[in-house]
Amino acid sequence: MSKTATILRHILLLLFLLFTAYPLVWMALCAFRTEGDAQAHPLALPSKWVLDNLQAVFRDGGFGSAYLNSLLLCVASVIVAVAFAALAAFAFSQMRFPGRNLLFVLFLLGMMIPIHVTLIPLNQLMGSSGLGLKGSLLALAGPYIGFALPVSILILRNAFNALPRDLLDAARVDGCTAWGVFWNVALPLSRPSLATVFIFNFLTMWNEYAFALTLLGPGVRTLPLALNDFKGEHDILITQTSAALLLVVIPLILVYLFAQKQIIRGLTAGAVKE
Amino acid sequence: MHTRKYTPWLFLLPALLAYGLFVLWPIVNSFQMSLFHWDGPMSSPAFYGLRNYSELLHDKVFWYSLWHNLLLLVGSLAIQLPLAAFLAILLHYPTWGRTVFRTAFFAPMIMPTVAIAILWQYIYEPGNGLLTALIQLVKPDFEFAWLATPGWSLLWIFVTICWQYTGFHTVLFMAGLSGIPNDYFEAARIDGASEWQICWHIILPLLKPTAIVSATLSIVGSLKYFDLVYMMSGGLPAESREVLATYIYRLAFDQGQGRFGYGSAAAVLLFLTALLVVIPLQSRRLRSGLKEETAP
Repeated sequence: MSKTATILRHILLLLFLLFTAYPLVWMALCAFRTEGDAQAHPLALPSKWVLDNLQAVFRDGGFGSAYLNSLLLCVASVIVAVAFAALAAFAFSQMRFPGRNLLFVLFLLGMMIPIHVTLIPLNQLMGSSGLGLKGSLLALAGPYIGFALPVSILILRNAFNALPRDLLDAARVDGCTAWGVFWNVALPLSRPSLATVFIFNFLTMWNEYAFALTLLGPGVRTLPLALNDFKGEHDILITQTSAALLLVVIPLILVYLFAQKQIIRGLTAGAVKE
Repeated sequence: MHTRKYTPWLFLLPALLAYGLFVLWPIVNSFQMSLFHWDGPMSSPAFYGLRNYSELLHDKVFWYSLWHNLLLLVGSLAIQLPLAAFLAILLHYPTWGRTVFRTAFFAPMIMPTVAIAILWQYIYEPGNGLLTALIQLVKPDFEFAWLATPGWSLLWIFVTICWQYTGFHTVLFMAGLSGIPNDYFEAARIDGASEWQICWHIILPLLKPTAIVSATLSIVGSLKYFDLVYMMSGGLPAESREVLATYIYRLAFDQGQGRFGYGSAAAVLLFLTALLVVIPLQSRRLRSGLKEETAP
């Protein structure tokens, strides 16, 4: 490849890098400006670096409890969802029973339908005439687990299918029960896929908005809701809202930089699998 | 396996219960609720037959919503995917800082869409947002209400969608490219093919499987747009702001609405559209999944 072409290629890539990164850098700078500075010189470096915005977010954002809520909800829901999915995937992969194909297709379809079809019925189901969970984190756990199952079952079933048959047979000959094969052989050997499923579902739940908007009340909020509310209350203060954004995004970016290989694989796995 | 007849069902039971209660039952319930007339959250439902559906078919906002879903899909297929493939091809040649590019391109995928929507609302701020300020460098008196101008806001939301997802598709295409053996390129170069010829005759055809995966994801995903559209187009008249999912949400949950029956009818139509689109697309995948099933 000629030198000009190589340079041109890097320039094009840098342009797209600018498109991706500059908004984030701009937001980060905004978090450290004074509001007047943001209005007058939105493109310059901050004329004076201030921490007031971050302090304001800590003072009245309620992000502490939102972080706790999201963490509690997502960790618990992911663990339950992956456990349920692994059990079902093991049955689909290793056992024979009537209606197996039909059930599997039924699960796969869940991946393809928009969750928004279920908003109104779930609102009724969780409401006072139903389970009475509306407004609590438990109201979200159910749908989060339910909608995490299809892709998890697909990925884990493929993982179990790829296990060496001899090994599973040997375990059976040695007198392992189905549960024994599942727990002592299949699960430990499928750690990479379990990690993939864990990451994918955790991020999906961590960032979820529509269910939280519908099923939670003003008292209990997840992180996206708290961010949304903060924007609603401080809309005119771009600096404070940017500081809130920064506090929500920085931990994610740090985790991402730390575990990007696993995260990229986790988020693309469902797609590339087949 | 030496198992009792009911053992598979013990393994399936937890997943079936959760999936049945929180996914399947609500879908069935949507069908039921779509047959009732509800005027508000406080009123009680009255049987309404199929009239919700016949009203929907004459509902301009409903059709505009569907049209907006379609526009976003066409944009993804015509602009976003080619761009992603292009970036992946650029990155396939020895590149300085390849990992940095990949990491950065993919990064928006891990952000909450709420954060993305807020960030881009400030970018599109009419007076002093990032985009306005950039244009003011050349044209000092420039002002434009990006998101509040009917007919245009969807385009700006589409740009945001590209910002969010292009890197994801780029990574998919990069994975597809890395599966092409290097011999192909070397053989072609030895035969005197130019880089353009290699691109056109070798890389692009071999990227087809990835392109199909990407396109399928875009098509399935196009019916799921909600967060960005809901948050970024709030100030517009109904005909120019909705996609199907946001319309359903607003019908049911916007202040003073509570049109659960009518909203459910719209939800049923969204569900049927999804099935209609997905089944032909995924039939191969479903069938191959089943074949794997029946293999020993």
